[in-house]
Amino acid sequence: MEGASYQRFPKIKIREVKDDFMKFELRDTDASIANALRRIMIAEVPTIAIDLVEIEVNSSVLNDEFISHRLGLVPLTSERAMSMRFSRDCDACDGDGQCEYCSVEFYLRVKCLSDQTLDVTSKDLLSSDHTVVPVDYSDASSSFDNTPNKGIIIVKLRRGQELRLRAIARKGIGKDHAKWSPAATVTFMYEPEIYINEDMMESLSLEEKTELVESSPTKVFGIDPENKQVIVVDPEAYTYDDEVLKKAEAMGKPGVVEIHAREDSFIFTVETTGAVKASQLVLNAIEVLKQKLDAVRLSDDTVEADDQFGELGAHMRGG
Amino acid sequence: MGEEKPKSDGSKAMSRPHLVAEKDYSALKELFSHHIESFDYMVDNGLETMLLNIKPIEIVDSFSSLKLRIWFGKPELFPPQKERASKAMHDALYPFECRQAKISYSGKFLVDICFQYGDGAVIREKFNFGQFPIMLKSKLCHLRGADDSKKLIAYKEEPSEMGGYFILKGLERVIRLIILPKRNYPTSMARNSFRDRREGYSDKAVVIRCVREDQSAVSLKLYYLNNGSARLGFWIQGREYLLPVGIILKALVDTTDHEIYVNLTCCYNEECDRVKGSVGTQLVGERAKIILDEVQALSLFTRAQCLRHIGEHFQPVVIGMQNDSYKTVADAVLRDYVFVHLDNNHDKFNLLIFMLQKLFSLIDQTSVLDNPDSLQNQEVLLPGHLITIYLKEKLQDWLLKLQRSLQEETDGEKKKFELSSLTDVKKAIEKNAPKQIGLVIESMLKTGRLATQSGLDLQQRAGMTVQAEKLNFLRFLSHFRAVHRGASFAGLRTTSVRKLLPESWGFLCPVHTPDGEPCGLLNHMTASCRITSYYDSKGNVKDFFKMRMSILNVLIAIGMTPSSPKLVQAGPPELLSVLLDGRIAGYIPSDLIEKAVTHLRRLKLSSTSSIPVDLEVGYIPLSMNGAYPGLYLFTSPSRFVRPVRNISAPAEEGNDLELIGPFEQVYMEISCPDGGDGGRKTLFPATHREIHPTNILSVVGNLTPWSDHNQSPRNMYQCQMGKQTMGFSSQALNCRADQKLYHLQTPQTPIVRTKAYEKYCVDDYPLGTNAIVAVLAYSGYDMEDAMVLNKSSVDRGMCHGHIYQTETIDLTEQSAKSDRAQRLFRRSNLDKSSHQLIDSDGLPYVGQRINPNEPYCSIYNEITSQTTSMKLKGSEPVVVDYVAVDVKNKAHLQKANIRFRRSRNPVIGDKFSSRHGQKGVCSQLWPDVDMPFSAVTGMRPDLIINPHAFPSRMTIAMLLESIAAKGGALHGKFVDATPFSNTMKESESESSSLVDDLGSMLAVCGFNHHGTEVLYSGVYGTELTCRIFIGPVYYQRLRHMVSDKFQVRSTGQVDHITRQPIKGRKRGGGVRFGEMERDSLLAHGAAYLLHDRLHTSSDHHIADVCSECGSVLTSSVIQPPKRAVQAILKQLPAREPKKVTCVACRSSKGMETVAMPYVFKYLAAELAAMNIKMTLKLSNEAGA
Repeated sequence: MEGASYQRFPKIKIREVKDDFMKFELRDTDASIANALRRIMIAEVPTIAIDLVEIEVNSSVLNDEFISHRLGLVPLTSERAMSMRFSRDCDACDGDGQCEYCSVEFYLRVKCLSDQTLDVTSKDLLSSDHTVVPVDYSDASSSFDNTPNKGIIIVKLRRGQELRLRAIARKGIGKDHAKWSPAATVTFMYEPEIYINEDMMESLSLEEKTELVESSPTKVFGIDPENKQVIVVDPEAYTYDDEVLKKAEAMGKPGVVEIHAREDSFIFTVETTGAVKASQLVLNAIEVLKQKLDAVRLSDDTVEADDQFGELGAHMRGG
Repeated sequence: MGEEKPKSDGSKAMSRPHLVAEKDYSALKELFSHHIESFDYMVDNGLETMLLNIKPIEIVDSFSSLKLRIWFGKPELFPPQKERASKAMHDALYPFECRQAKISYSGKFLVDICFQYGDGAVIREKFNFGQFPIMLKSKLCHLRGADDSKKLIAYKEEPSEMGGYFILKGLERVIRLIILPKRNYPTSMARNSFRDRREGYSDKAVVIRCVREDQSAVSLKLYYLNNGSARLGFWIQGREYLLPVGIILKALVDTTDHEIYVNLTCCYNEECDRVKGSVGTQLVGERAKIILDEVQALSLFTRAQCLRHIGEHFQPVVIGMQNDSYKTVADAVLRDYVFVHLDNNHDKFNLLIFMLQKLFSLIDQTSVLDNPDSLQNQEVLLPGHLITIYLKEKLQDWLLKLQRSLQEETDGEKKKFELSSLTDVKKAIEKNAPKQIGLVIESMLKTGRLATQSGLDLQQRAGMTVQAEKLNFLRFLSHFRAVHRGASFAGLRTTSVRKLLPESWGFLCPVHTPDGEPCGLLNHMTASCRITSYYDSKGNVKDFFKMRMSILNVLIAIGMTPSSPKLVQAGPPELLSVLLDGRIAGYIPSDLIEKAVTHLRRLKLSSTSSIPVDLEVGYIPLSMNGAYPGLYLFTSPSRFVRPVRNISAPAEEGNDLELIGPFEQVYMEISCPDGGDGGRKTLFPATHREIHPTNILSVVGNLTPWSDHNQSPRNMYQCQMGKQTMGFSSQALNCRADQKLYHLQTPQTPIVRTKAYEKYCVDDYPLGTNAIVAVLAYSGYDMEDAMVLNKSSVDRGMCHGHIYQTETIDLTEQSAKSDRAQRLFRRSNLDKSSHQLIDSDGLPYVGQRINPNEPYCSIYNEITSQTTSMKLKGSEPVVVDYVAVDVKNKAHLQKANIRFRRSRNPVIGDKFSSRHGQKGVCSQLWPDVDMPFSAVTGMRPDLIINPHAFPSRMTIAMLLESIAAKGGALHGKFVDATPFSNTMKESESESSSLVDDLGSMLAVCGFNHHGTEVLYSGVYGTELTCRIFIGPVYYQRLRHMVSDKFQVRSTGQVDHITRQPIKGRKRGGGVRFGEMERDSLLAHGAAYLLHDRLHTSSDHHIADVCSECGSVLTSSVIQPPKRAVQAILKQLPAREPKKVTCVACRSSKGMETVAMPYVFKYLAAELAAMNIKMTLKLSNEAGA
């Protein structure tokens, strides 16, 4: 690794953290790292999800596959996931994936006995491990919704219908199936830098200023109520839609506003399914990224590296 | 689902505003009403009328001269009932049971047969005529009473079950509506085939299709002869009989030559010659003379003579009248074949005169030909009518057969039979198999073939019924709205019948017709189009006599001269004929006619008058050489009608909706909101107005959002594709046993939808998913109409589907073929391997997964005591969804339905389409992280399509849909996308264009006005250089899926004659490498590949050829002598070279081996069989 070092020390500044939501700044790095983080959060942070369903009785209107599919999509609390084994790597159970190290067992036994339709929800899933349970969405903080939270509806039963099954939840990653993805949405944006050319702006009338401000569909600019100056209200509301720039050009004042994307700082928005906390998701993602880089580094000087990385291996050895 | 009704509590309605507590299916039911009403009428009155119209038979005992008259009395049709051992118990048979048990939904059909000895008392006896198929939701159907959808669900039907079809052996079949010439209206026609009738015939004729009260029809043709005369032609028993028109005229009424002459020439007036509206010319008088001279030449002067003449000629032809007098025969001919819709000979005479005048005017070119391909001159064949006329012929035949057999019995030598004994006669009747009649009807409905001698005056004998496939709701519905032009036109080389004519405006949908072979022949009625029936709006049977009388009274009050006391001596342009249902009702002065027409139209609207609402007031005005003028009124059933607003008459009681027919529409002034004044200026003010411009579209055509913004062929494609979509086909899925049912697991309701979507409750059977569609070229896998699906979206259930397949195993059916072996479902106790799959009753476990070639049920044969098992065919595993058994035979099960479920989740190669004729194939399931994403919302598209899909196809509505759905989704609202709705707006809104309306919805939420967004590459995280158009579009999954279509083979079965690979996907055959493929390889010079395909991988063969005689066929293998036995005993002797010899040359000297395709050798053999010898010249040098 000769030559100039491009090593940088990225910084993270957390802006907002909730259980299932997080917003932070990532600075001093480039798009490749930011995107890697995004991709890992969506597709490679492991969670636990139901993977195998043994149906004993199903007299509901939905067929077995459909119910199994719905069960699979139920988010389970997956704090344990990072320390759990993948069933395929588990040596305790010879790969049948039913041991305590790599799986969690669930039971669902519901029968409708009343004339009212019975909702079978994720609350009816009984876990063998109290750390791995369906995510509870009854949010104490949100008070506007007073209805008792009943969990995710799996199927509705009529009188006499019954559903009895055993399910095995396993560790997995979102790359294999979307049900293992802990992220609802992960996205980042380049931090915009907005310059207002005050001199040119002065040449605009108030009406033109308002027009310019309102040309942006999002609330990026505003007019100072006191001195009637165009000010930047919220630079991050800018979606790089160039509407303001186009407007400025149409008004014959190109350059009145200049907007640049900062190549090295990003604003991340992370929303999780509830399987892991948002903050944990970011940490896990960094952990996974480290592991992946380790895998590359460790295989650097082995013979297998050639097989594993092909030309890349040779490249890494300095070829 | 669908079983739970949304409770009407507030919270639910709030959260899902589009779900209405009680759905209104009335609009949907109306679409099917013409099927049901026609069947209902058949049950109510049609059958009885028909039976009374069947001629009685007479049997005479020659010894005792005892005479027995037999005729049909009243029919009695019963609702479907279960067969029971005890006669007293009768359980209702429900449609769902028929579907599952694969039996027919039919009821007992009893008919009174009346006997009369001599002039004695009439004896009535009921006879069973078998099981008569019952239409669902008709008066005899058990579902009729269940108006409430809850009741229907209790009967295991769809909550919106509409009926209108039959269930025959478990299959749902619907009678196809076929276009027929308009009844009782004389049409002028020119056909080259008329010339070939006989010498001297011209190509012109006036044709009328006369329909009796019982719906049976007789077509009459009035041919024009080049010498100026005319011939009346009609068909009896498959032969056309041509009579000079003068004879008919004279035979019909007592008249004089002068009267005929005056009647014929009244249409010519010297003063009005060649003015507007005159139809007669001088030549008419001369022609009348020729006609009269013709009759005189035959020395027929009086009516009696004419009748005698007719009787003499027809006596041998008409069945059952061989012994009658000439006069009776002639009367019968005139009654049964000439203008059968009229009872009165004077009316017939008048109509014939009218037709002659029309014919002459056509010849003199004072009027033009009518177009038989135009909807103006057409009506439709309704299910009830088809069954009635078919049954009539069958019963007629049956009665004649009975007559013959009874006559034989009485005349027979054996004294066993006594005609005087009613029991003997009854026995003979029972021997005549009356129960077959029901079966005949059933088989007609099942196969769609009419087994008829006479042809029933129909153009086709096959394809009368089609299966009502429940592929999806739109397809099912379209079966009932389809109108076919007739199978006989399908083979025609000319395309004129397929043309979209302006006359069909508003009645047939211009968009909804298939591409390709049936294009233009198979049309669909518009959503607002109805067909007149025998029932009025209150559900009472119409009294046609009363209706006609009141119409006549109205007309006479206005100033019409009635036809009955014949006084009229004039024709157009002074007087116009008034035809009421094919009868000359009178003559009306042309200056009064406009008033009469408006008055009639006003009376149509008023509910107090007895003028029917669906009266067709076909007023053809006077014109210079236009259509033959007159006032043609129709009250008959099976006409097309549609509602329009009458804006000329002051609306009484607020009702301004007038039903108009295609005949009158042509001459009406109807303004369309979309069309401005339609170019009619102030000269012809509009008297009527379209209710909505979408009334010209069919139900399916109406579902395309903003179809007015699309290029028209795209809308046609969507009508096609909408019907092949995999959707939510049935809510009663668990009670159905269809052979194949497609089912979309996770459907959604479209955000952007038309008014018709809600009106016809399409939400009950949704057809697609709102997918987030990004329009960009990404990854290269979206070229050429391919599309990239987001793998995670698919993982989460987008477009997941199933195919339900039912296998019916009926052991009684199979054993009937072989000997009476008793077979039953039972699993083998010896073979324990199958116990995992098959339960102790021989049937599979429900929920069991079965792999190809594994057994799914086992059958035990009691006689051979062998167990055979049915093995699963195909190449994919299935899941047993449901097993139903027939418990009628309690001892052992004989019949079982096994329903399999195959999952069909999206894979590469599956076909998808938006609602704008934009179909595409999934080319890649791309990982979510690789999809482009939006920085603001983090949204990744569900699918990516290429922008090249738009410029040439111009499906602007799809772009609009995307913007609108995005706005709708952001605001939580459904967006109305009814086409042409901007023309219906009362006042112009501020924003002029639709795009601005939709765009502002987006801008409010901080999105780009035009629906574009900045996206970032999912792979690199960098901004894409363009703004990407992204938004939700309703996508349909089409039923064409690779899993059902892919075909691969490495080695396998070969054809035993040619030794080439066999064809057919089912049998594991190969894909044909045909001529065109061969040509392309030749053109490329890819010789090795060509050799590989056509030889090595096909029928490679090493043949022994004798170079001496050059034959490939004469080689013969020499059996090594006895030593062979020892050689086998010794292990593996050194492989001796195969000794071959030429049989012809008797030597093996010149034997060589040559590689050749085996078919070549086969060709040599075939040629040899034809005595052609093929020799090969072998040589070692190249190019020799």
